Amino acid sequence: MAEDTTSVIASARPALDEGLLKALAATLGGDAAQVSRRLAALARYEKAAEPDRVRHLWRFTNPALLLPASVTGAPATDIVLTSAAPVAGASVTIDLWPGQAPAVQTAEDLPVGALVFTAADEPFAAGGAPAGDLFAALGDAAWNTGVGLQVAAGVKLAGPIHVRVHASAAAVLPRVRLDVGRGAEAMLVEHHTGGGPDVRVAGSTVINAADGARVRHAVVQVWEPGTCGHLAVRTRAGADADILTVCGVFGGDETKLELGTDLAGAGAHSEIVGVALVAGKQHADVHTSHRHLAGHTTSRIDYKAVAGQQARSTYTGLIRIEERATHCEAYQENRNLLLSSRARADAIPELEIHNQEVSCSHGATIAPVDPEQLFYLGSRGLDPHEAMGLVVRGFLENTLARLPDDARSMVESFTAPRLATIREGGA
Amino acid sequence: MSDQLLSPDHPSVVFACRGVQVYVKDGDTEKQIVRGVDLTVRRGEKHALMGPNGSGKSTLAAALMGHPSYRVEGDIWLNGERVDALEPHMRARRGMFLSFQYPVAVPGVTVANFLRASLAARRGTEIPVRAFRQELNAAFATMSIDPSFITRYLNDGFSGGEKKKLEILQMLLLKPAFSLLDETDSGLDIDALKIVSDGINLASGPDNGLLLVTHYQRILNHVQPDVVHVFMNGHLVRTGGMELVTALEERGYDWLAEEAAIPEGSRA
Repeated sequence: MAEDTTSVIASARPALDEGLLKALAATLGGDAAQVSRRLAALARYEKAAEPDRVRHLWRFTNPALLLPASVTGAPATDIVLTSAAPVAGASVTIDLWPGQAPAVQTAEDLPVGALVFTAADEPFAAGGAPAGDLFAALGDAAWNTGVGLQVAAGVKLAGPIHVRVHASAAAVLPRVRLDVGRGAEAMLVEHHTGGGPDVRVAGSTVINAADGARVRHAVVQVWEPGTCGHLAVRTRAGADADILTVCGVFGGDETKLELGTDLAGAGAHSEIVGVALVAGKQHADVHTSHRHLAGHTTSRIDYKAVAGQQARSTYTGLIRIEERATHCEAYQENRNLLLSSRARADAIPELEIHNQEVSCSHGATIAPVDPEQLFYLGSRGLDPHEAMGLVVRGFLENTLARLPDDARSMVESFTAPRLATIREGGA
Repeated sequence: MSDQLLSPDHPSVVFACRGVQVYVKDGDTEKQIVRGVDLTVRRGEKHALMGPNGSGKSTLAAALMGHPSYRVEGDIWLNGERVDALEPHMRARRGMFLSFQYPVAVPGVTVANFLRASLAARRGTEIPVRAFRQELNAAFATMSIDPSFITRYLNDGFSGGEKKKLEILQMLLLKPAFSLLDETDSGLDIDALKIVSDGINLASGPDNGLLLVTHYQRILNHVQPDVVHVFMNGHLVRTGGMELVTALEERGYDWLAEEAAIPEGSRA
C-alpha cells in the first residue's frame, strides 16, 4: 500500500505560533532570552522537513503517530523550575506532576550552590540535535514542562537526582537539562509515567558532562497503554568524562527513544545499557548514536529487547568515528528475544568509520525462546510461566550485570513486574 | 512376565504405560517412532532399556516426560494416577524425572537459582536459603562437583561429564518417584561413570523406580537392573534379566531382530 507520508506528517504536525510560545514562556516564568530562543526554534520548526522514512532512523516508526495533534499555551505541569535556585541536598526528587504544588524533596546536606536549578533550555555548548530535526525544533520551541540542573565543578553528589515526568495533558513536551561541571559526579534518573490513549509525549533531555565529569543517567519509560511518544537524549562528553546511560522501555503503544552521545574530548567514555520488555501490540523503537569526535574515546552499547505476543522491537544504532578521532574503541551489541511466533524484532547496527586506527565491532541477534530450554525447565517442575520468566531473566542477566548495584536494582524494580504482566498476558 | 499382569494402579507399581505410541512431525505427515510399548515398574525396581542407536529410545523417554514435539497415544501412570494428559511440569511435580542425554544450557540462570526454583516446585514450598545452601553443598560433595559450579550458569560451558553429574545431582535433590535416565552413561570417563552410578544407586530406594536407557553394558555393571528390555523398531522385542545384557554384549542386536522378524531396513 503506497502511503503518502508527506501529507500525513504535514497534517499531523501541530501548529505553533509566536503568541502561543510567548504565552508558554510567560506561564513558565521564562525571561526575554527564553522567548527569543523559542522563537528561533519556531523558525527552525517551520522549515524542518518531515523525518526521512528511507533512512534507518525513521524507517520503522511513523513519526505522525508520535506527534501531538496540537499544543496550547498552557504548561503540561504546574511546576517548572527555571529561575536560578540553589539547592542544598544530595538526593533530590523533582516531581513534574500536574495539579500539584512544586515537590522538591532533598536529603542530606550539600554546600549551597553545589546543585542549582537553571533554565531548562539554556543553549547547549556543542553537539545537540542535528539541524532540521523536527522533534528537536518542536521541543525547543514549545517545551511545556521541565527542569534544568547544574552540578558545580568538583562536587560529587552522593545520591541520585530523580525527575518524575507524569504525562497527563494531550501534549506533554518535557525538557530536562543537566550540566555536570569539571570533575563533578552526578546521577540523574528520569521517570516517564502517566499517559493514556489521548496523550502524546515529545521530550528532550540534554546532558553536558564537562572534562573529567562522571555522569550516571537513567531513562525509565513506563507509560500507560495508549500513550505514544518520542524521547530524545543528547549527551556531550568532554575530555576524560565518563558517562553511563541506562534505559528501560516498558510502556506506551508506539514509542521511540533516541540516545545520542558525542564523545567530544579525548579520553571520553560512554556506555549505554538498555532493556526493553514489550507485549500486546506495543512497538518499542530505540536508536543509539555514538559519535567519536576526539581520539582515544571509547563507547559501548549493550541493548536487549524482549517482545511477547504481537509486540515489536526495533533497534537502529550508529557508531560514527571521525577522521581525526584515532585510537578509538567502540562496541555495539543488540540482542532480541521473541516470546511468541507473532512477535517481531528488527536490528540494524551501523558503523561509519573514517580512519584506520580504531577497534570497532558490532553484533545483533534475533531469536525465539528455545523450546528445549522450556521443556528442560518444565521437566524440573517449573510451569511454563516460571520457565519463561527464568529464561528471560537469564537473557537479561549479563546486560544487567554491567550495571552498578543501585542502578541494577532500580532497573529490576521495573523489569520484574513488567515481566509478570507479559506472562499473565499469555505471551 | 508376571509384572505385566499387574494393574497399572496397583499400589506396588510406581510407573506403568500401556499401548504407548509416539509420532513425530515429518514434513506434512507424521512418522511413527514408538509402536506400542507396555511397561510396569514396581517400587524398588531398576529397569534397563537397551537398543541399537537410532531405535527411538530417547524419543520414548522424552515422550513419556511429555515433550511437546511428540504426539503420544496410550496411557501413562505414575503412582496409580494417569499423567498422560499432564504437562511436563505437572508430571515433574508428581515425581517424574528425566535425566537428559544432552542437557540444554540456560545462560544467565545460575545453577543455584535454577535448583531452588525446581526444589520449590517439586516440594510445593519455598526452601529457606540456609537450609537450601546446606542441602546443596552436601549434594555437590556427593557428586564430586566443585562448589564453584553453584554460581555458574546452568549447563553453560559445562563438559559432558559435568552436565551428567549435575543431572544426577538433581535426581538426588528432587527425590523423584520414577526416573527416566537417558544415556546417562554416554560421554563419561571411568571415574565419572563411577560417581554417576553411585549417585543413581544412592537416589534409588525401596519406594521409587527407574528406567535406565542405554546401549552399553558398561553402566549396568554399576547400576544392576532388575529387569532388562530390548527396544527395536518401536517395540519392546524382549524382556529379561542381566543374562540378556550378557547375550547382547556377545551377539549384538541382530539375532533379536531376526527372532522378532524385523526387516533388515527397520532394525535401528
